[in-house]
Amino acid sequence: MSTMSVSTVPASARPSGRLTLARFRALMGMHAKLIRREPGGALIVLIPVLLLVVFGCIPGTKKPEASLGGRSVLDVYVPTIAAMVPLFIACTGLPGLMAAFRERNALRRFAVSPVPAGAMLAALVAVLSAMAAFGVALVLGLGLGVFGAKAPSNPGAVISSFVLGFTAVMAVGMIAAALATTSGMANGLGMPFMFLNFFFSGLYVPVAQLPHVFQTIGEYVPFGAVMDSWSGEGALWQHLAVLAGYTVLGSLVSAKLFRWE
Amino acid sequence: MPVIEVERLHKQYGRVTAVDEVSFAVEEGEIFGILGPNGAGKTTTVECISGLRAPDRGAVRVLGMDPVGDRDELRQRVGVQLQEAGLPDKLKVRETMQLFASFYRDPAEIDPLLERLGLADKAQARYKKLSGGQKQRLAIALALVGRPDVVVLDELTTGLDPHARRETWELVEQVRDAGVTVLLVTHFMEEAERLCDRLALIDRGRVVAVDTPAGLAERTGGQRMRFRPSSPIEDAELLALPEVDSLTRHGQQLELAGGANLVQAVTSLLARRQIIAVGLRIEQSSLDDAFISLTDHGKEN
Repeated sequence: MSTMSVSTVPASARPSGRLTLARFRALMGMHAKLIRREPGGALIVLIPVLLLVVFGCIPGTKKPEASLGGRSVLDVYVPTIAAMVPLFIACTGLPGLMAAFRERNALRRFAVSPVPAGAMLAALVAVLSAMAAFGVALVLGLGLGVFGAKAPSNPGAVISSFVLGFTAVMAVGMIAAALATTSGMANGLGMPFMFLNFFFSGLYVPVAQLPHVFQTIGEYVPFGAVMDSWSGEGALWQHLAVLAGYTVLGSLVSAKLFRWE
Repeated sequence: MPVIEVERLHKQYGRVTAVDEVSFAVEEGEIFGILGPNGAGKTTTVECISGLRAPDRGAVRVLGMDPVGDRDELRQRVGVQLQEAGLPDKLKVRETMQLFASFYRDPAEIDPLLERLGLADKAQARYKKLSGGQKQRLAIALALVGRPDVVVLDELTTGLDPHARRETWELVEQVRDAGVTVLLVTHFMEEAERLCDRLALIDRGRVVAVDTPAGLAERTGGQRMRFRPSSPIEDAELLALPEVDSLTRHGQQLELAGGANLVQAVTSLLARRQIIAVGLRIEQSSLDDAFISLTDHGKEN
């Protein structure tokens, strides 16, 4: 009976609604498949996890160090390694994946389909956000739970700064995604910002061992600010304001520059 | 009621006028061609019809709808294949079809459609691995997956080898035979001549003619003939015929050009004189000639 009544509804009476949940999910599925087929896709989570395991298995990394303010090397590196996940995703993943569409002129194909081209981008951001959340949770869970790194004193500050840190670098990555016409160009635009963030999040040298002037600069680099709110350095509101500033500015600039063709 | 109505369409980018004044109407169930040299304004016209651009002046109605204002409903009923619009290299044929099918309220069944387009054995292939012809067939499949009433095909066979081109033409005819109205944009004369029921010839942003391919070819006057007369005949005698426009001698060979009844008039004169036209060759003027003469005419203005 019910199937009868469905099939008698004239086609034009059914909604032509541009974006239904099912359509959005189909778009997310497409992006997830494309990321899985990208050789770098799995590495986004694998590299940080492997790095953490290496750090966690070296015996000396769990000793408190005076030069790190009484924290161990592992304590310091867990948030830094976790930060690699959102940085990979925002600085190379997002621009590279958008460039893959633009390179083949595929955005035009979506523009003439019933879903708005913006939905395609929104679905990509949704998939990447889920990946980032999963990757960060995995690294932090392993670091704190399995290898016994010291948990941050203010989890609320850490969670909000990681979330805002992600939106900040995504907004900047979106500028690269807005402009890049080839994957080479996407990497060229995204990588310098990624390495800048790696540096100020203490990947190469722990933040505590950087010269004072660099520490001050680091407060104004997204994942420098996130690391500070993890370790409780400086004023939390200032870090969050810096991150919100990147988010707003990056969004405005990328929206202005975005090319659908 | 026409399926597509374009009235005095005008579009410019900055100071460059892409489409100056374009009007035509496409009737239900026909293959209507837009033919013109590169840069004539074909793609801009198609983009206005597809709702990708808003015209500066003039009106466009597709299935009675405004392409920009009724965008959502239009997308459901009009399938568009845009020039050189590709897909990410790593998407597979079947999953791409499934994705786009999910966008439509009443999609076609995917497997029979892939079968019809000769892509069934490529269903699991990645976009990158497809040949040029297969990519174009996938583009047609994607334009058809929503069961549209109208499909717009822009430069469908550019870059295809002659074999793939012919296959694609057959597909377009099948689509029309299934009751779908086709708007075909091309700069290939042979394609327009073979496929289109009617066509609009566009040059420099203006429509210079709308007619059937045969009608357009006739406009340029018609016929040309060459032969060697079996015995001498005076030029004046031939030129006296109203059907003969010009006469050239190449040694023993005569070349005559003239209107649609040239051949009939000349052969009956020769018959009265009991002269045989040895090695007679007749050329009907083609769409090619029409294209050249009509677009040349545009340049004189």
